[in-house]
Amino acid sequence: MLFKIAFKNLLGAKLRTFLNVFVTSISFFMIIFVSGLYDGMRQHAKQVTIDTEIAGGAYWHPMYDPMDPLLFEDAHSTLPPEIDGLVQEKKAVPVLVSQAAIYPHGRIMPVVMKGIDPNQNIINMPTEVLGKNKNTDIPVLIGKEMASKTKLERGDSFTIRWLDADGTYDADEGTVVHIMDTENFKIDIGQIWVPIKKAQEMLEMKNEVTYVSYAKEEKEVNDLGTWVHRDVDYLIQDIEAAIEADKPGNQIMFAILLCLASIGIFNAQVLSIFRRGKEIGTLMALGMTRSKVVALFTMEGGINAVLASALTVFPFGIILWWTAEYGIPMPIDYSEMGFLMATRLIPVYSMGLIVTTTILVFVIVITVSYLPSRKISKMKPTDALRGKIVS
Amino acid sequence: MENNTVISIQNLVKRFPVGGDFFTALKNVDLDLNKGEFTGLVGPSGSGKTTLLNIIGGLDSVSEGTVRVLDQSLDNTSHNERAKLRRKYMGFIFQSYNLLPVYTVFENVELPLILNKIDSDERIKKVNQAIEWVGLTSKRNSKPNMLSGGECQRTAIARALVHQPVLVMADEPTANLDAENSHNIMKILTKLNKELDTSFVFATHDEKIMGYLKRIIRLEDGKIIQDEKIKREDS
Repeated sequence: MLFKIAFKNLLGAKLRTFLNVFVTSISFFMIIFVSGLYDGMRQHAKQVTIDTEIAGGAYWHPMYDPMDPLLFEDAHSTLPPEIDGLVQEKKAVPVLVSQAAIYPHGRIMPVVMKGIDPNQNIINMPTEVLGKNKNTDIPVLIGKEMASKTKLERGDSFTIRWLDADGTYDADEGTVVHIMDTENFKIDIGQIWVPIKKAQEMLEMKNEVTYVSYAKEEKEVNDLGTWVHRDVDYLIQDIEAAIEADKPGNQIMFAILLCLASIGIFNAQVLSIFRRGKEIGTLMALGMTRSKVVALFTMEGGINAVLASALTVFPFGIILWWTAEYGIPMPIDYSEMGFLMATRLIPVYSMGLIVTTTILVFVIVITVSYLPSRKISKMKPTDALRGKIVS
Repeated sequence: MENNTVISIQNLVKRFPVGGDFFTALKNVDLDLNKGEFTGLVGPSGSGKTTLLNIIGGLDSVSEGTVRVLDQSLDNTSHNERAKLRRKYMGFIFQSYNLLPVYTVFENVELPLILNKIDSDERIKKVNQAIEWVGLTSKRNSKPNMLSGGECQRTAIARALVHQPVLVMADEPTANLDAENSHNIMKILTKLNKELDTSFVFATHDEKIMGYLKRIIRLEDGKIIQDEKIKREDS
């Protein structure tokens, strides 16, 4: 009986129902959309790091610590045979890391110089450009942020100074052969990339390597020698830690969105219910009990939430699908601020997010329908019939 | 109480809190109403007629005294029991109609039957019959905002009578209507009173109604000052 009346009330109050459902649906959409953007941003950061830097994992020289540049000069050796086998089979890419200084436009700038195989296809970097410039003495690949900071352009030459294996400083001219557009500032800012053979020659470290990144799906080799295996989980732990550290922030943002949505829904529901005081009085005069009045309005709220879910699926669902498929272009480049963020952000709408949001919105709608109707049902029927305002 | 007594009131006092004090709206009211009576509570504004009507309808509580309606004491009944009494045995007609604006005439009239859990076929039959009593068959699918004041009040009458209650209470049912509509409404109610043997209690100060009432109870300052039974030719 109550469902029939509640449904009839909602169908009959066309505009009022539409506005309530629309407000709820907008809240629904905004929570899913903004949280999805946030999740997408974090997942993107992880994925970009894997694609452009980590691939399937790495084998490190035992002395290598990417956070301690002072150890770079000791972190190199020839590869253990089994890892070298992977490199020969093109299933892994070797990288030689050293400290260097560059002098773009006469200014000194400390950098990390990385030698990499130009013909690799393990990580997503345009290293092939390093093999195409035979006339250039030291072909250099840099990222766009590095180019921006050093004011270097493609074709520009600059002095590179390095310390070779014998402890002797040497210098030569490098030429920018390509400026790569990458979202991963960790392979961009403060780094120059040169062909590994050239780097080994410059540093007098023939056939020596600092670390090797191997292809995705590749199994761990059995004999590592003294080298150390680093899997993806280890290599992305800084990002995972950042995400974990960001969780409270994310939860606060979710709570704020939910509060804003609650205020919107509460406002619409309370206004709707309190304006219907006379209607409630009439229902009581016709013999509806107080508990049934509360149940009726709570049920209206519940149906409202179901309709809002339907409206969120269509048409807002199309917007959610479109953004998940094509992403949203970012108005500014955040990489300068140290954020690993895509120029086109792809939101990720996880099942957990959708289910959690749905449950929470239902709870909110039902609560904000229950509370005011409970209050108004406690009015004397005579006051309700007069349309007296409840405080 | 006799078997055909519908309402029995003894020493009824009703006080309302006003500021830090109390205003006594009804003072020691004694009243008995029998089945099929067509009674008016008449008096100026503030005389207590609507308060008395609300107490009889179980919409308001008493401060002192006893009120029995349809053989049930209203003094110590719960909200739910009073709601059940209203739902099953009472009908209400309000001055401002109190129709639900989102419902059609049919749906408004249907509401008491839904609340009484009458099955669908029976409901349709009874609603059509009630709409026919008040002459609104052609307007059954109209919403209140498409009806005149008279038509709205006729819808309210159909809603009050559709479940054939024992007692109908009407609070100033003609106050918002012109003379012609007022007479039409009263003719309908007189006819239904005769046909259905339903008791009617009006709260009114509309002189146009007086000519239809078979019993007039005059109230002044919360007291009954006159209780007069009138013999009508058509009764």
